[in-house]
Amino acid sequence: MKLSDHYNKASIITTISVLLAGGVIYFFAIIYISRLQLDRDLTEEIDELKEYIGGNNRLPTQVDFDEDVTTFTKTDQTTFKRRYFDTAYINPKEKKNEEGRAVEDLIFFNGQHYKVIISESREGTEYLVQIIALITLALMIGLLVALFLINRYLLRDLWKPFYNILSELKAFNISEPTDFNLQDNKVDEFAELNQAVQIMSERIKDDFLHLKHLTENASHEMMTPLAVITTKLDTLIQDESLNPAHYDLINDIYTASGKLLRLNQTMLLLVKIENNLIEGNEVLRLDNLIREKLVQFQELLNTKHITVTEKLEGKEILASKYLVDILLNNLFSNAIRHNTPNGRQYITLTPGKLIIKNTGSQNALHAETIFDRFQKGSQSDGTGLGLTIVKNICNLYNWKVNYYFDQSLHTFEIVF
Amino acid sequence: MVGGIDPNLKQLKFLIIEDEAGLRQNIADYLNGDGNICECCGSLKCAIGKLSDYVYDCVLLDIGLPDGEGFAVLDFLRNNMRNESVLIISAKGSLDDKIKALNIGADDYLTKPFHLAELKARVEAVYRRKTFSSNNIIIFNEISVDLHGRSVDINGVSLTLTRKEFDMLLYFIANKGKVISKNAIAEHLWGDEMDVHDHYDFIYTHIKNLRKKLMDANCNDYIKSLYGIGYKFTA
Repeated sequence: MKLSDHYNKASIITTISVLLAGGVIYFFAIIYISRLQLDRDLTEEIDELKEYIGGNNRLPTQVDFDEDVTTFTKTDQTTFKRRYFDTAYINPKEKKNEEGRAVEDLIFFNGQHYKVIISESREGTEYLVQIIALITLALMIGLLVALFLINRYLLRDLWKPFYNILSELKAFNISEPTDFNLQDNKVDEFAELNQAVQIMSERIKDDFLHLKHLTENASHEMMTPLAVITTKLDTLIQDESLNPAHYDLINDIYTASGKLLRLNQTMLLLVKIENNLIEGNEVLRLDNLIREKLVQFQELLNTKHITVTEKLEGKEILASKYLVDILLNNLFSNAIRHNTPNGRQYITLTPGKLIIKNTGSQNALHAETIFDRFQKGSQSDGTGLGLTIVKNICNLYNWKVNYYFDQSLHTFEIVF
Repeated sequence: MVGGIDPNLKQLKFLIIEDEAGLRQNIADYLNGDGNICECCGSLKCAIGKLSDYVYDCVLLDIGLPDGEGFAVLDFLRNNMRNESVLIISAKGSLDDKIKALNIGADDYLTKPFHLAELKARVEAVYRRKTFSSNNIIIFNEISVDLHGRSVDINGVSLTLTRKEFDMLLYFIANKGKVISKNAIAEHLWGDEMDVHDHYDFIYTHIKNLRKKLMDANCNDYIKSLYGIGYKFTA
């Protein structure tokens, strides 16, 4: 739910409940006040009546009471407490039943006690209450409409800078040098947010750049000694006084330094993939790349007498050619290196999957750990990073890579 | 190359700009073997100083120098309309650096670590490309290699070689008289396409085939195998 919806919900519920409570209080207050007013009127009527009787020495007729209805009843009671009550009121002119209010009291006239009841229409106050209720209702609807419109248009407008910042943040790419395109803002909070985001992104980019430089420098620092080792060996083997035992030693050093080099290069590549530093995605025909790769590996396949069965359907992918090349290299060279002489290799490409199967050791590998760093078989001469790279490249492009052992075939499957 | 045999290549004058003294000396020793002249620099300041005073045939340039980036040397050469061919030798293998260097005037880019044999082959290729674009024939005794047509003649009789055999022959001629390790040959032929240790057997096969083809064409057997370590192409 959007913030404005949350706000809408809260403000509308609050408004409605306040208005309802206010309306109810209003309603009862008006009824109470109007009743007090009526009772005061009726008290005046009683006083006037008593004055009238004292002055004219007779009971008044209905005409004298205007619209009030007065009845006199003889009674033997001598004491009575004046009481007010709600009653039905019959309008004498219109002969219409209305809600009314009456007062009952005792008067003494010509040696006789009379119970007198004066009733008065309550219609006026009822009408008032209705009008007030209507006005309250209208106010409520008006307020709701106003709130709704404000929330919808004003809030949306107010929050525009926020969504602007949000979209900039979503598009933020640490390896891109471009800065945020943030607009100046009159709202203090957003201006502050803008500033904070700007500062944060600059700091992140700074740190990132430092890290990038560090990895590059680390590589430089390691490559130079490696270059010294290699060139010293190259120079050493020119010496004609060396004997075969020396050559064996030198060969071992060549191999070790070569391995160190590959390890270093691979680690740097991993860092680059993990930080998404490889750019230059293009549309590639994967089936063609696989065919090229097979030609490249032909020698190796021939030497081990491996039979390749391929079934390639056309498949286009959007990826970096450099990384796809590494991906195929690693999968193919694994499938060949861990294959048995006179083994088989199957390559199947469909629009949804790339499956590479090969014969090899009769035991399944650990599907859970096979893609972890430095996991390798005991006979493997590799760096132990080949499949980690495969996995990372797949992750980068949101592909899924699986291993399973099926019908004595080691199977790697990439799901696009 | 050897004077008199290949008229295209005289003795060359190199400037090696590299801050690692051990590496610098090795490169100089290796290149000097053909009677070339090598001068060395360990800093940007020294390099600019030497380049201001002397003319060289080829500059070997490390990018990471103690007093600045080697790109400044490329800028200097370009601003002064100089003709030296430049081979970058850098530990920075990133594509950005390569593109940047090639864009501002470098002729080739070699990533550290490298084999001296590879360096020698590249230096000669770069120099040849820059100097004799019209005449690209390398002659070694009875062997004549046409770089443009990628063809080989032995005593004027054409010889058919596979791509790898051709590359290998060229590599041997560039490094004649030197022992070339198997690693260096494998890296030259396959690059880092595949792990090098898969290829020692192939090298043997390719060399055996190349040798047989050369000898069948009445060429002398110049390729000597050195037990376990590599090969030497020598007259």
